[in-house]
Amino acid sequence: MHPRRLAATTLAAMTFITAPLAAEELRFTLWTGNDAHLAIFNEIAKGFTETHPDVTVSFESIPAADYTQKLTFQLAGGNPPDLGWMFEDVIPGFVEAGVVEDLRPALEAAEGYELEDFSEPAMALWSEKDAIHGVPFSTSPFMIYYNKDMFDAAGLETPPELAGKGEWDMEKFREVAMALAEANSGKWGFEFKDGQGYDSRILHAIMPAIRVYGGYAWRDGDCGFDEPEAVEAITQLHDMVFKDKSIVPPGEQGDFFSGNSAMTVNQISRASLLADADFEWGIAPLPTGPAGASPIIGQAGIVVFSQSKKQELAQEFVAYMTNPENSELMAEFFPPARHSVLQSDTFVAANELIPSEQMAYVGKAIEEGHVLPSHPRYAQIYAAMKPRMDALWRADADVQTSLEAVCTAIEDQL
Amino acid sequence: MTGHVRTGTTAPRAPWLTLRRREMFEGWLFVSPTLIGFLIFFLGPLIAIVIYSLSEWNLLSQQMTYIGTANYQDALTQNPDFWHVIRNSVIFAAGLVPLNMTLALALALALCRPGRGVVFFRTAFFAPVVTSAVAWAIVWKFLLQGEAGAVNQMLATVGINGPNWLREPDWAMVAVIATRVLKMVGLNMILYIAALQSIPRDYEDAARLEGAGNWQIFRMVTWPLLAPSTLIIMVITTIGSFKVFDHIYLMTGGGPENGTLVLAFYIYEQAFEFFNVGYASALAMIMFAIVLVLALVQIMLRQKGSA
Repeated sequence: MHPRRLAATTLAAMTFITAPLAAEELRFTLWTGNDAHLAIFNEIAKGFTETHPDVTVSFESIPAADYTQKLTFQLAGGNPPDLGWMFEDVIPGFVEAGVVEDLRPALEAAEGYELEDFSEPAMALWSEKDAIHGVPFSTSPFMIYYNKDMFDAAGLETPPELAGKGEWDMEKFREVAMALAEANSGKWGFEFKDGQGYDSRILHAIMPAIRVYGGYAWRDGDCGFDEPEAVEAITQLHDMVFKDKSIVPPGEQGDFFSGNSAMTVNQISRASLLADADFEWGIAPLPTGPAGASPIIGQAGIVVFSQSKKQELAQEFVAYMTNPENSELMAEFFPPARHSVLQSDTFVAANELIPSEQMAYVGKAIEEGHVLPSHPRYAQIYAAMKPRMDALWRADADVQTSLEAVCTAIEDQL
Repeated sequence: MTGHVRTGTTAPRAPWLTLRRREMFEGWLFVSPTLIGFLIFFLGPLIAIVIYSLSEWNLLSQQMTYIGTANYQDALTQNPDFWHVIRNSVIFAAGLVPLNMTLALALALALCRPGRGVVFFRTAFFAPVVTSAVAWAIVWKFLLQGEAGAVNQMLATVGINGPNWLREPDWAMVAVIATRVLKMVGLNMILYIAALQSIPRDYEDAARLEGAGNWQIFRMVTWPLLAPSTLIIMVITTIGSFKVFDHIYLMTGGGPENGTLVLAFYIYEQAFEFFNVGYASALAMIMFAIVLVLALVQIMLRQKGSA
């Protein structure tokens, strides 16, 4: 072969061989394995590859229960994903450990991103001074789910009707829950979130009441559980469990989604469990209290890991994935924290199971809501708090004393 | 002129691969799969845990500092939770081991001989062993509910007001022991059945000819002959009871009020919830020592008893 031809052929072959090697893969960890969710993410990834033809994005599902552990072990083992989802309760610990990147420069540089469009309370958890350590792609408020058939059986007005009249407060909530339990024999008036209010969802169970009474869990190293507002709030819940017998008590099961409780608290993603429900249901805002309304939001964010060797590309993808258009695309399952999307007709019509007037409650709660208390040492705080909370949920417990014990147990961690 | 004197003849060299060497080589070759597995998956991690236990290592921040025996000192002298956890583990083992072994032996004695329904009952008692731990826990959590649980409803029919099993610390421990025994008793039952079937019938027949009753035959013939199996079963069950994790994780999560927080669960919490790998490794070494001592004591007692 002629030397020139040989050189040209070799060059062509080299180009052919190295072309696939030049392609970059972004590894994205998440805790959903739901096909409908993944279809949306793959669609977004496909859109990204139109402008980045050499890039592929692979979504790696890890079950939620093991997510943080597996992620941590991947990071520790030198096999980090480039980017991924992050739970709200663990992000402060990851930020403190310095394992997630500041995304502000990339978000500000992205064309049409409109960073100021994000609701400020919704960004609070993910921001530290000027740095943005994650973008909340899902900001889902806690709503009251109610079983309309059980309300009808008790001859009661529904929570949206009461909310419309400005009467949906903690006092009314107690009255209604008791009436529901009495009218629906063998069933309960209210169930804490996922029936886990005495276990892994302690804060989900007590914080809505504490906040509307004007209390707090902890702030600036100070424990608020033993403050009068929190004690009053927990006393009401305690009385509802053990005196009124209207809330599913510890050790019992009264699943709302199976029709065994008339009300519960949960996020709109749980509406999918009611697609084939044999009872009529709806959602409403959380009841107000002496301190007014205080919606609570649960969040999940997207972060870029500091160990990723494709920092620039990964940050670019986060900016693309959470831009206004893609936020709207994800809104069916993951309510965004963007004002523009929340106020759009697309959002209120996004969930086919929930009527638009009830989706409006969701949008309002996202704009006004605050996340649950968080802390870099949340796992340690929870472990210290849990046994004292167990002691609280006994019929003969003194609420004030029990909550003082909770504060004593966690003050070193705060 | 100096030089080497050539002898003109050389002694024949012995072959390198002598029979002895060849046998040794083959021997190592045969044991190598197990040996390599042992080194990589047992000895390596064991040495690593010893090293980790002497350091403060937060997995998340990737900071590892050598701190000597501080983790051990903290656990043994400063951490009140540690002794609470040890107490719980001892209570769990003290409840589970005798109950499991007694029940297993009773079932084995009843089911060791062929008879009507024997296969069915053996299968029924062994089935929980191969049942998913998750399914087992879900079912029992449902049955052990406070007022609505089937267990308490059955107790109510005979006038007993049952406790809120999984929400009261003392009763929760009773509940996790009992449900663990029911889950695992089938395994020990099978081991006892195998041991019973290996005892020649001649001994029993001879004893019966001498006029011994069933109890005497059991006490003087069967029980002494079961001693080696009993030792093995006791050691395995004791080790298993100190290592119990999944059952506690699924049934109570260590609660209520830390009433069922046992050592293996506490190690898990330190390692996988708090990411304190160094401290968790020290706790794991302490657990290893406890289990090793218990096993050795049991073996020594057995040897002393048979001497």
